[in-house]
Amino acid sequence: MSWLPLSFGAPMVLWGLLALPVIWWLLRLTPPKPQTEVFPPLKILARVLRREETPQQSPWWLTLLRLLMAALIVMALAEPVFNPREKLPAEGSALALVIDNDWASAADWGKRVATAERLIADAGSNGVPVVIAFTAEKPNAEIGPFDASAALDRLRAAKPRPIPTDRPAVYARVAATLERLPGAAVAVLADGLAANGDEAAFKTLLEKNASRLVWVTADRLSLTGLIGADNQVDGFALTAIRTPGDPAPAQVTAGAFDDKGRRIADATLTFAPGEATATGTMTVPFELRNDFASIALDGEHQAGAVRVLDESSKRRRVGLLSQAEADQAQPLLSPLYYIRRALQPFADLVEPSSADLADAIPQLLDQKPAMIIMADVGTIPEQVRQRLVDWVNNGGTLVRFAGPRLAAAGNDDDLLPVRLRSGERALGGALSWTSPQAVTEFPKNGPFADLSPPSEVTVSRQVLAEPTPDIVERTWATLADGTPLVTGAKKDKGTLVLFHVTPEATWSNLPISGSFVEMLRRVVQLSRNQGAAVANAEAKATSLAPYRMIGADGTLTPPSPDARPLVPGAGLLPVTLENPPGLYGSETGVFAHNLLNAASTFAPLARPQVSLPVTAIPYAFDESENLKGPLVALALLLMALDTLAVFWMGGLLSRRPRRAAVATAAVMLALGALLGHADLARADDAKPGDAQAIEDISKTRIAYVITGEPGVDSISRAGLEGLTRFLIEKTALEPGPPAGVDIAKDELSFFPLIYWPIDASAPMPSQAAIARIDAYMQQGGTVLFDTRDQFSNGIGATGASPATERLRDILANLNVPPLEPVPSDHVLTKSFFILPEFPGRFNGSPLWVEASLDASNTENRPVRTGDGVSPIMITANDFAGAWAVDENGDPLLPTVPPDPMQRVYALRAGVNIMMYMLTGNYKSDQVHVPVLLERLGQ
Amino acid sequence: MGRIGEVQAPVATRDALARGRLRASLVPDLLVEARRIVNTVIAGWHGRRKRGIGENFWQFRPYVEGDSSRIDWRRSARDDHTYVRDREWEAAHTVWLWADPSPSMLYKSAGAGVSKESRALVLTLAMAELLSRSGERIAWPGLTDPFTARNGAERIAAQLSHAAALPAKPDLSAIRRFCDIVIVSDFLDPVEETMAWLDVLARHGVRAHLIEVADPAEETFPYAGRTEFTDPETGDKLTAGRAETLAEEYRLLYRARREELAGWCKRLGWSFTVNHTDRLASDALVRVHMAMTADGSHGRLTAASGHAGKAVA
Repeated sequence: MSWLPLSFGAPMVLWGLLALPVIWWLLRLTPPKPQTEVFPPLKILARVLRREETPQQSPWWLTLLRLLMAALIVMALAEPVFNPREKLPAEGSALALVIDNDWASAADWGKRVATAERLIADAGSNGVPVVIAFTAEKPNAEIGPFDASAALDRLRAAKPRPIPTDRPAVYARVAATLERLPGAAVAVLADGLAANGDEAAFKTLLEKNASRLVWVTADRLSLTGLIGADNQVDGFALTAIRTPGDPAPAQVTAGAFDDKGRRIADATLTFAPGEATATGTMTVPFELRNDFASIALDGEHQAGAVRVLDESSKRRRVGLLSQAEADQAQPLLSPLYYIRRALQPFADLVEPSSADLADAIPQLLDQKPAMIIMADVGTIPEQVRQRLVDWVNNGGTLVRFAGPRLAAAGNDDDLLPVRLRSGERALGGALSWTSPQAVTEFPKNGPFADLSPPSEVTVSRQVLAEPTPDIVERTWATLADGTPLVTGAKKDKGTLVLFHVTPEATWSNLPISGSFVEMLRRVVQLSRNQGAAVANAEAKATSLAPYRMIGADGTLTPPSPDARPLVPGAGLLPVTLENPPGLYGSETGVFAHNLLNAASTFAPLARPQVSLPVTAIPYAFDESENLKGPLVALALLLMALDTLAVFWMGGLLSRRPRRAAVATAAVMLALGALLGHADLARADDAKPGDAQAIEDISKTRIAYVITGEPGVDSISRAGLEGLTRFLIEKTALEPGPPAGVDIAKDELSFFPLIYWPIDASAPMPSQAAIARIDAYMQQGGTVLFDTRDQFSNGIGATGASPATERLRDILANLNVPPLEPVPSDHVLTKSFFILPEFPGRFNGSPLWVEASLDASNTENRPVRTGDGVSPIMITANDFAGAWAVDENGDPLLPTVPPDPMQRVYALRAGVNIMMYMLTGNYKSDQVHVPVLLERLGQ
Repeated sequence: MGRIGEVQAPVATRDALARGRLRASLVPDLLVEARRIVNTVIAGWHGRRKRGIGENFWQFRPYVEGDSSRIDWRRSARDDHTYVRDREWEAAHTVWLWADPSPSMLYKSAGAGVSKESRALVLTLAMAELLSRSGERIAWPGLTDPFTARNGAERIAAQLSHAAALPAKPDLSAIRRFCDIVIVSDFLDPVEETMAWLDVLARHGVRAHLIEVADPAEETFPYAGRTEFTDPETGDKLTAGRAETLAEEYRLLYRARREELAGWCKRLGWSFTVNHTDRLASDALVRVHMAMTADGSHGRLTAASGHAGKAVA
């Protein structure tokens, strides 16, 4: 099967495919067994069936399905392998694996391990021992020989290290081991980067005892590394390198991260075609640049693409010192004004709070500034002078500006780069023949060498340096007449700089020229922050503890146990396993130890020219895949399909059409409900209980309180039912069926009247429920309390009955208006029937209603006037008991006394109450109609 | 998956007789409407609710000139009129009964309570019981001649159980005019054949009552999937790939057959009753009973007064 990357472990089994035609024949022969049914009206059925083609054989697709299933099983038994890999030739007495696990191998370490695993597996199947050595491990790491499984364990335990390889040492050890195993195959899994001593190392390794070389390299060495990250004046300059000889242009993105790992800046570095070096600048505000803790190239997961930054790349702290009182009214004449404006963009300015130099200088020195600028400071107080000198000697940069005070102060060898003549020199002016001098070309030895001289700058006054032999090399800028304008000198590790003019524009116009800013920047670049770690001279001399390490994958990690303190010294510190790249020091100050330096290049490793047989293979993952499982799974799936198909053809799935139809209908309904609901959701603000609410308000309904006592509630319901029937029969009002309400939950405002039978055995309603009742009454509803205890106390009993007690408890929490028994001229007595009293099952209890305020009926009208309806009515006559009827309309309970008319009166009372509820004082007005008509008639 | 239909063993005649009696006891005495019956039949003991030849007193009526009847002097002596004593007409009627014995009747589906054969026998024996209780002459074509006996149903049952082989379709030409015949079958043969077989009855002026016993499975055709159908009579086999697809068309044909037969019966003035084996036998019995005792309300009326007549007898 050359056209397919497929091979079979047991190809003989494939002959089984020849059985497929037989299976096909058998399948065609035996259709699925039908369900046999006796069917008397066969003659009728025959007339129908004649028109249908009877499948006597399996349908073709079922046959195909089964053939496919058989073929799949045969194929699965043949153990197919997709993308089979080549096996290495079984040669040699041993296999020596030399694996580069340096930083350059980190990006595709998985591939390397996979490749090595295959080699070890082959060695294992050949039964030869394996020597396995890593070139970036400790020199005393065990290298074997192992058997294959132990070698595999070693391999899997190995990790890439963020350090360069040490090929000569490791290769020598391997070569020494191979002396006991002559004729071994040597597999070099190289990272592709050349290093010093490679040639000799390979010679050592391969010259003796090696029978074969397996050379494993990446197809293409594509490494990108950061070799420089420099905090420039206007940006952060980055330099990246890649493998030389890459003809294609490339672009990499570098990201800057702060110490919390947040990405705060980006830059793009572009490799021109064929170029191995790319530069780029991160133009970000200086404030941000100070927060850079590391810079990493995107997409490069190796230590070379990461640089950690320490203090040296950060913004400098600059202390400003002046003896002139800052005159806020004339800021342009303040000596520090132009310096401040020039330095602010790229340096942290530190100014002392005290004007007294004895206080101000220690204050500044405590801030550990990189540079101190003194504007026309003459004599330094003796008590702080030595500290300042020490600071300069330790690396501080002291920049001084001339001025009258300095000119008067005299020489100071420790804190001035040159000796000065006392007094100043004036150029030009009314009493001078000389004219103000311009600035000439900057001397080549100074830091300003690359600046162009400011032609517009003239100096009219300066302090002069004593001509000394070294005056020329100390001169950084000169005037046209050759006198120095800026002088500078190294003082131990520090630098002294003197501007021979004032920092304000009195002696020259240099401070207001653009060159001034540039010159100050150059000076600032020279300075170094005197951070804690650097200032701690003793600690620095000994060692710096590992703080944050760069892992092999380019991430910052805590130090590994292998990391040892770094002893900073002159020159480039080697990156070793003991001193992996990263930050050394502590939180207060760190020292950056980076893998690559400015001189690093990526030279590709060449295959050593040896006389051995060589097998060159690339790194690759093992892509071979055993197809047996998927094929069997597929066959099982087809089997399930086949079963379903047989069921379907046998009619099992449709035998229960009703159930299926019901299920379908349910699904459709659910879908419909979903869709319908979605539709409604757009236009409708439906709430739960809306249906109940609509039902409650679409017809007038009388409500009763569900007390929780079934007997009481059923009588309430039957009573209101009876009253409803009576109302329908006698009046124009046709109420809906009575509604039982739970006063704790249900909406009450739908009901004009709530009948509340008080039952002492029912649970006391909660405070919240009573509050709802109160609100209902306040909003115009009426509650008809019925204690139903007119006779239960016995005649002449003085104490209140339990129901009355309960009613009192309830009313205690309600805002009950003053009550009175229904007076004879109350509208309740006339609202439909003329009623002198309101009996229920019992007779005799008055019906209490809200007392009318103007109880006096002065004008002798037939009914008292008054607005509103009573929010409360109380009776003890058991109205519901009298009203209650069964389905046939027959009364449920006897009246006491058993007088049929009393029931009629009770119903009439109910009608009056309902009419009163619904019409209010309208009825009381109606009684005046005859009088009104009479008046109108007149 | 169980089968829907099965072939039941032929029902024991005694069992069918017992159930037939049970059914018959639920139906009032059968009064065969006899308006078309000739006077010269053998007298039964069954009052016809009209005057005629009989033993029981029916009414006194005033004597009119030329009346051939004898004056009842005992009654006439009581006043100035002369009366004639009428007697109630008592006459018997021949009803032929036949239940289809073909193997297709042995079918019983899962939804049905009994096989069609069982239902048919119960119906016929119930009719026999009813009729013989009413004193009618009953007969089974190809098995017995008409006879009158109180235990007519029992006798027919006995004869059925001893009969060697009954013809699938008996010769009906012996049945004469003014007889009734009750034919209980599934009528699954082509309608033309059935009509041709029954045509002799129509020509002889026999009033026939057809009861079609139908199994619910035959009517609704609940089969689905690949199904092989067997005809219990001929043994023919038919295989349907997906039976559910045939259901609609089959039902149409099935009903068309029934409607054609029913329409034919209606034209001839015969009754056609469908009885499903998942329903009660009494349904059909009551309907046939009503059809035999003339139409609708009149029939019910006579049936009701029949009790009175029987009580008198």
